[in-house]
Amino acid sequence: MSENENSGRETRPGLTRLVHEIDDVELGDETRLEGGRLTVSAEEAKGLVADPALAEVRVSWVSPGESARIVKVLDAVEPRAKGDGAGGVFPGFVSPARPAGLGATHVLRGVAVVAAGYLPRAQEGVVEMSGDAAVLSPLGSTHNLVVEFEPSSDASWEDVDTALRRGLLKLAVRLAEAALEADPSAVEELPAAPAQAQDDRPRVAAITNLQTQGTFKDVFVYGSSMAGSLPTLIDPNELEDGAVVSGQYGHPGLKNPTYIHQNHPVAAALRASEEAVLGGVIICPEPVDQAQKELVSALAARLCKTCGFDAAIVTKEGGGNADADVALKLDALEEIGIPAVGLFAEMAGAEGTAPPLVAPPSKATAMVSTGNYDEELELGEVERALGGERIDLRDADAREALELPHAAIYCALSPLGWGRLTCEDAT
Amino acid sequence: MRIVHYINQYFAGVGGEEEAGRGPELREEPVGPGKRLQTLLGDEHEIVATVFCGDDYAAGTAEAAEEILSLVDEVDPELIVAGPAFTSGRYGVACSAVIAAAHERGIEAIASMHEDNPGLQDAGAAPVVESGQSARKMKGTMERLAAAVQKLAAGEQIGEEEGRISRLRRVNVLAEAPAAARAVELALARLGGDTERTELTPPDFDQVMPAGPVEDLSDATLALVTEGGLVPAGNPDGLESSRATLWLRYSLDGRDSLPEGEFESVDGGFSTVAADEDPHRMVPLDVARELEQEGAIGGLHPEYLVTTGNGTAVAASKHFGVEWAVELHKAEVQAAILSAT
Repeated sequence: MSENENSGRETRPGLTRLVHEIDDVELGDETRLEGGRLTVSAEEAKGLVADPALAEVRVSWVSPGESARIVKVLDAVEPRAKGDGAGGVFPGFVSPARPAGLGATHVLRGVAVVAAGYLPRAQEGVVEMSGDAAVLSPLGSTHNLVVEFEPSSDASWEDVDTALRRGLLKLAVRLAEAALEADPSAVEELPAAPAQAQDDRPRVAAITNLQTQGTFKDVFVYGSSMAGSLPTLIDPNELEDGAVVSGQYGHPGLKNPTYIHQNHPVAAALRASEEAVLGGVIICPEPVDQAQKELVSALAARLCKTCGFDAAIVTKEGGGNADADVALKLDALEEIGIPAVGLFAEMAGAEGTAPPLVAPPSKATAMVSTGNYDEELELGEVERALGGERIDLRDADAREALELPHAAIYCALSPLGWGRLTCEDAT
Repeated sequence: MRIVHYINQYFAGVGGEEEAGRGPELREEPVGPGKRLQTLLGDEHEIVATVFCGDDYAAGTAEAAEEILSLVDEVDPELIVAGPAFTSGRYGVACSAVIAAAHERGIEAIASMHEDNPGLQDAGAAPVVESGQSARKMKGTMERLAAAVQKLAAGEQIGEEEGRISRLRRVNVLAEAPAAARAVELALARLGGDTERTELTPPDFDQVMPAGPVEDLSDATLALVTEGGLVPAGNPDGLESSRATLWLRYSLDGRDSLPEGEFESVDGGFSTVAADEDPHRMVPLDVARELEQEGAIGGLHPEYLVTTGNGTAVAASKHFGVEWAVELHKAEVQAAILSAT
């Protein structure tokens, strides 16, 4: 046995997730966690989000089962904070941009901090807190601290967006800091991805395409846009600490908010598998021109080969042109002998009879369907609306009964594989 | 069951291409291939009428399918059979339009055509079973169609076994496991050598052959068209920012420029900052007018056509494309610049 092989089998340091299940939430005089009850000081919360670009900030809780709807949903973040001496979360935003994913991280499970309100070119996303559609969004089953805002009259929309992102992340960290002294409900050990095979199980990569189309359609890695980058191998635990943050507000049904990056579903499913091993996460930009799409796809496949991964699962963010980024990668992987699976939403028209993909792979065949984007669903009347009084998609009171396509339901067709929605042939 | 059979003018025996423009007519008996179909169906089902229509009329008139169905209403059928259309394009388009419209009204309907027939995609949720390439394959084609009609009449699903080639309607359901967990299962199956398993069958897209180059641009009329969502400021006609269901036209007559603030892009699929600052980068009227003045192009079409290409269903896009082509062809436009985003 060579020395190399020995060193490859050494375990690299992992991350400990200290999970605090939150059962109950309220606004109060100070921010604290007692048992499973999270109290948030509204004044402190507003102060953390306050920025010259924002004329007004409001915070309120909305919980699962309430007759309520959140409209104009922007980003959502799971509250997390680091224990002693292990760096910070959201590197590049609220802590220095240094490699993340080591030590221990406190997680408030069952809670999200959610920004909701008007931003230009943000496509309107909807979350239902009760009824049949609640199950379609991760925020339908979390206690959501909703941050609403009014922009300052002299602020640019870009500054409003930046202020919201920073405020949301700071607020999420502050909530989790309330748990620093508390006993966790569960301690979860997340080993780092192994550098080499540990046994005869296949090592599977999660190739994660990040949307990179400029302001309001961008995703940040360690605080900077992924645009212009080449495929990068990261440890899945870096995601746990918020190395990837969303600033992408298109296609609500096909969105990957920060919350889902923190809880990367493909990484989680591979960790849960007894037959496969999570090899690593390869993050890639989704370039806007074909030649760059082809280059990034070929390099991502080559990186998988170099790492010795046995198979790959490829995901995307966004609508039609992002299909090409998945399809090109699937084909590039299959071409060099790496079996590949892609996640796609179907764009089959309201009737479900139109061709489902705009850019299908030509060689690869293994695809998971996250549902038909265009199929309509009915939402009942609700008592309370957050994020706005009107729903612009239908130019109606946001509390009214509505018919909307699945495309408008926040993360309903989660390209990262969070949801259970899929399509079947009608019988 | 009471059946109405739809065929074209050629199979009805009333004429060839010279009769392609004639409107729909009804005869209360099996005609042409319907006679063989009646024999194959036996006594259980009766072809109570045949409707036939010229190919040009049926495929090129927006209301043709409705007109055909209102004729059909007179004989109150329980099932409509269309074709076989083989590889004949206009006939296939007409067959699909008729069965799709019937299906929407809740009347059982089925067509027969070859899988290369361009009409296949227009059948909506109604079943289409495969035919041979041409009428030389009539015997086998009619046997397959008759068998499928009998199954459909018995209330059974028409699937691959019956020779179905049209897509089945896709409906959203909740799976047991999240998509990510299903992807892991699929990866393991794939590693185990299973290359068949998938949740999604990709569509076959047409390969479009580009038209030949324009020989003399100085004599040609050029049109500017875009899927970049450029509309007058305020979006007065309500073009969608995604999942477009319509296209619009705006006049360029007497205009030399599209100034910032007067036009904007509503497309939700890209950063519109540059397009809003200079709308010419979406619809290059500035350069086109210069070329027109220099005589490099013969003239500019007096309006630009616009839709939004963001999450727009392929079927809708195809529909817009056909309408734009007809529109520009009628206006004798020889070339178009389509800016895509």
